[in-house]
Amino acid sequence: MKTWSEATEVQPLVSKIMINSIQKGRLSHAYLFQGERGTGKSSLALLLAKTLFCEHKTGVEPCHECVMCKRIESGNHPDVHWIEPDGQSIKIAQIEELQKEFAYTGLESNQKVYIIKDADTLTVNAANRILKFLEEPSRETTAMMLTENSQSILPTIRSRCQMLDLRPLNPVHFQQQLIEEDIPKSNARLLSALTNNLHDAHELHQDESFVQARRLVIQLIEMFTRDSDDAYLFIHQKWIPFFKDRLEQEQALDLLLLAFRDLLYFHIDKKDSIVFFEQNDERLDQFILSFTEESMIYILQYILEAKRKLKQHVQPTLVMEQLTLQIQR
Amino acid sequence: MRFTIQRDKLITSVQDVMKAISSRTAIPILTGMKIEAKQHGITLTGSDSDISIESFIPTEKNGEIYVENIEEGSIVIHARYFPDIIRKLPENTVQIEVDEQLQVTIRSGKAEFSLNGQDADEYPLLPQVETDNSFQMPTDLLKYMIKQTVFAVSSMETRPILTGVKFTLEKGKLNFTATDSHRLASRDVPIDAGELEFSNVVVPGKSLNELNKILDDTEEMVEISVTENQILFKTEHLNFLSRLLDGNYPETSRLIPTQSKTTIFTKTKELIQAIDRAALLAKEDRNNVVRLTTLDNNMIEIMSNSPEIGHVTEEVPIQSMEGEELKISFSSKYVLEGLRAIHADEVKIEFTGAMRPFIIKPINGDEILQLILPVRTY
Amino acid sequence: MLQFKPQKGRIIFHIDMNCFYASVEMAYDKKLKGKALAIAGNPEERKGIIVTSSYEARAKGVKTTMPLWQARKLCPNLMVKRPNFERYRKASRKIFQLLSEITPLVEPVSIDEGYLDVTEVDYPRGSIQLAKDLQQAIKNRLDLPCSIGIAPNKFLAKTASDMKKPMGITVLRKRELNEKLWPLPIEKMHGVGQKTAEKLHSIQIKTIGDLAKKDVYILKQLLGINGERLNNRANGIDPRIVDPKAVHEFKSIGSSQTLPRDTTDEQVIVQLMKQLSLQVERRIKRKQSSGRTVQLMIRFQDRNTITRSKTLPSYIDNEEDIMSVAYELFKTHWDGKPIRLIGITLQDIEEKKNIVHQLDLFTYEKEEGKEKLQTAIQELTSKYGENPFKQLDEQPKDEQPRTSFQKDFLDDYLK
Repeated sequence: MKTWSEATEVQPLVSKIMINSIQKGRLSHAYLFQGERGTGKSSLALLLAKTLFCEHKTGVEPCHECVMCKRIESGNHPDVHWIEPDGQSIKIAQIEELQKEFAYTGLESNQKVYIIKDADTLTVNAANRILKFLEEPSRETTAMMLTENSQSILPTIRSRCQMLDLRPLNPVHFQQQLIEEDIPKSNARLLSALTNNLHDAHELHQDESFVQARRLVIQLIEMFTRDSDDAYLFIHQKWIPFFKDRLEQEQALDLLLLAFRDLLYFHIDKKDSIVFFEQNDERLDQFILSFTEESMIYILQYILEAKRKLKQHVQPTLVMEQLTLQIQR
Repeated sequence: MRFTIQRDKLITSVQDVMKAISSRTAIPILTGMKIEAKQHGITLTGSDSDISIESFIPTEKNGEIYVENIEEGSIVIHARYFPDIIRKLPENTVQIEVDEQLQVTIRSGKAEFSLNGQDADEYPLLPQVETDNSFQMPTDLLKYMIKQTVFAVSSMETRPILTGVKFTLEKGKLNFTATDSHRLASRDVPIDAGELEFSNVVVPGKSLNELNKILDDTEEMVEISVTENQILFKTEHLNFLSRLLDGNYPETSRLIPTQSKTTIFTKTKELIQAIDRAALLAKEDRNNVVRLTTLDNNMIEIMSNSPEIGHVTEEVPIQSMEGEELKISFSSKYVLEGLRAIHADEVKIEFTGAMRPFIIKPINGDEILQLILPVRTY
Repeated sequence: MLQFKPQKGRIIFHIDMNCFYASVEMAYDKKLKGKALAIAGNPEERKGIIVTSSYEARAKGVKTTMPLWQARKLCPNLMVKRPNFERYRKASRKIFQLLSEITPLVEPVSIDEGYLDVTEVDYPRGSIQLAKDLQQAIKNRLDLPCSIGIAPNKFLAKTASDMKKPMGITVLRKRELNEKLWPLPIEKMHGVGQKTAEKLHSIQIKTIGDLAKKDVYILKQLLGINGERLNNRANGIDPRIVDPKAVHEFKSIGSSQTLPRDTTDEQVIVQLMKQLSLQVERRIKRKQSSGRTVQLMIRFQDRNTITRSKTLPSYIDNEEDIMSVAYELFKTHWDGKPIRLIGITLQDIEEKKNIVHQLDLFTYEKEEGKEKLQTAIQELTSKYGENPFKQLDEQPKDEQPRTSFQKDFLDDYLK
């Protein structure tokens, strides 16, 4: 999302609102961008900052070439301030630095931009200090707060900012983007089902253990279709040792979920929707013999439930054992 | 970019510019020093974003060649290594060259350093002097004005605007005012600035302290120009820029009493010494309070009392006194700082009551004023 | 008559008023005597818990901090009175005045107990008779019962006063420790709370005697420095002196109150905060003092409690200033969750005569105005008696004891 026209494709509604405000010269003093990871909060903030400073705009589009655009991109523009959590939350020292900044004029002009990432990690105290500043909108200042979790933002902050809801990405669009970036189609389908963050997708694509994870999921399903005792053993010997932390375990369940969903799609003749397997994978014919349509719906529910338990920090081995038993039944 | 330069000239410039560079900055490029080569000379720039210092080395001065073989261009070099490298080079001249890949080569005699540079386009754009928006004054007078006011700025961040000195240029008069709300220092100087006038220009006290350090005590002129967001002090080879404090400085003139009920005329030095002695027993956590009482026969009493420590009283002769009797308590620290900043042999102190601000001025002259709020005792 | 005069060492009395609030009420209204009486915070509201009760009520199982409804179940003819703090304070002052007639070495500990060092008191008939006469004097003059413990130090004196109630006089000598003190269960020891008792149980300490004999090193490992202190006390060693000045070293004055119901209604909260600030003002002014740190305590519905404070450059003593800082703290730190209890405390307290106040350029005119008004009021007051411009006060006059940290009145008896 480097340009407003790209942004319009990804986040049509929000982009439209913002372009309209830019054209009419009616930008708000404070925005709250909320949306899931990868929905383009930082990109939009960057784009708006460039639009505000660029001296060679074409319409609303910044040029990306001038010293303004280039320095905003590199983080060297002295009047564009990025504040992001240093560790768990935004620290008091960061807020104090910010407050000092509030008291000063800009370095190059009086136009200033503050971008606060993960604004939900602000302490009540820090948030209030920022608010106090936002309450004096006399300055040429634009504040942008970014959050994945708008529920954790203080109501008082929310009421003082213009809220912009970024929608989850359209998977087809995302998949297309991945294919354009040289990721094989079969992989692009699966990745777009797992994440909507371009960076994450590339990382997974290059990750050796992701290939291995995929293989383990297929092996597990094979176990289910064969002798049932093997599956239980497999969990202990292969699955648990391989997926070490909670994040990996959750991702493994995501993969298992997608695989079973594929089976269901295959069953009801919706081959186009298959993402985990290749559409013409011969194993599919073989696998579906072992599961009825009804049992597959149950299995999907069990997997979702298992995922929830992991999130609640239930012991992972326990979760997997239970899931295995449930699927075998 | 390429040039060959006298090493000692470069060292001096680098030292000046380094005063503005901080290793702790949120803006990565500011850890570097900008070097710009033009046909008429070399400009070095350093900045911590609050203050920026530009140092200019002309190609030649009084027939002496400082810089030669100039190929114009600019670069940003990381400031952590550059100063030491220059200082330790073997020869009297240094050649600096930058290639297409922003690789900086520093040569002196047989020594050759190669450093990675950064694109000068990444560096902040600092405002230029606009002569039609500037005025001049002697450097030593500017330093004097700073010293007489800057100590009174607030060090508390609760009211950020008070951490600065307010500059006003009106009706041919330049005024500096600083207050931390417990005392106020104000200094006027007549200036020939033509049509130029401004008000509510508030310069951070920290910046002025730095400026005072970097300027030499000379009668040479310094050119001052004010833009919307920066103030620039320009001497022959040095530009000092500071960001301003944003916001409105509170109106203080109407808070300064214009009449007095009691006026004391005294030798400055004697009073300073007496208060200084009394302050020995005044406790810091109780505002270093000293009490002044007027006596008959041109005497005043300076007293301090700390229950835990002891008691000190001293009768001090004064030149003369007019008006009502008075007993007033005040912070010895504020009064001493005020008296010292006056730089006059004799002062008059105008009181309007024990609960109201009093004013210290030179015995003849209104150009400087130190106002102090008393302390109230119960 | 046994003479109690140790060869060396001190003679310490611990005077403990019996069922103090209830006794004061009975002294005030003789009809209540011999009845099951309880003092409880607002009887209609949910915070109506038993503050104290008479022995008659205690006999039926009524206990301090028990909810009122439960007490009524146990004791159907329980008489309930709201606390009348002013009354208790007056009584307390009279008691300490009486004590200070014996010796200046009086250390009030709370409204209803205190220590006396009578070592130097030359009472012809001995210390035990002194205690008896003192007890009788309090009974005769104030109609209040008390128990007195006599011992060579504070800890033993306090332990002794607890041994016989009401109207007891107990002597605890060091050589009697093994029969009088050591058999007691460890929970009975002053300074041993529930937590400490549990810890001590874990190393097989059941009685005070067990504690006295335990290796100090082990105790120190378990309880830190307090382990050594408790071991000393169990062995009858307590070096604390009776310090009449201890009570002056009050560091804070605070009020807290539970809301009638948990609320997020800012108006209600602010209303309560104002009320609390006013209470703090009254009490700080009575001390002729000022403070410069304001602490706000918020207890939330989930019992989570936060305290936040702010220190000012100058001292304050009035409702307006206290409230404005408290409100600022509130606005800065309240995250919108339902609130159960609010407390406002003024800390960093200093007597006014020791305070200097640096005037401010931007506010001196306003302060001057206030000052003039104050002076005028003072002049008129001295002319016409009590403040003729007294602000109308909507609050009930009877201040209740809300928290135990309200000790700031304890040196009132000196005035």
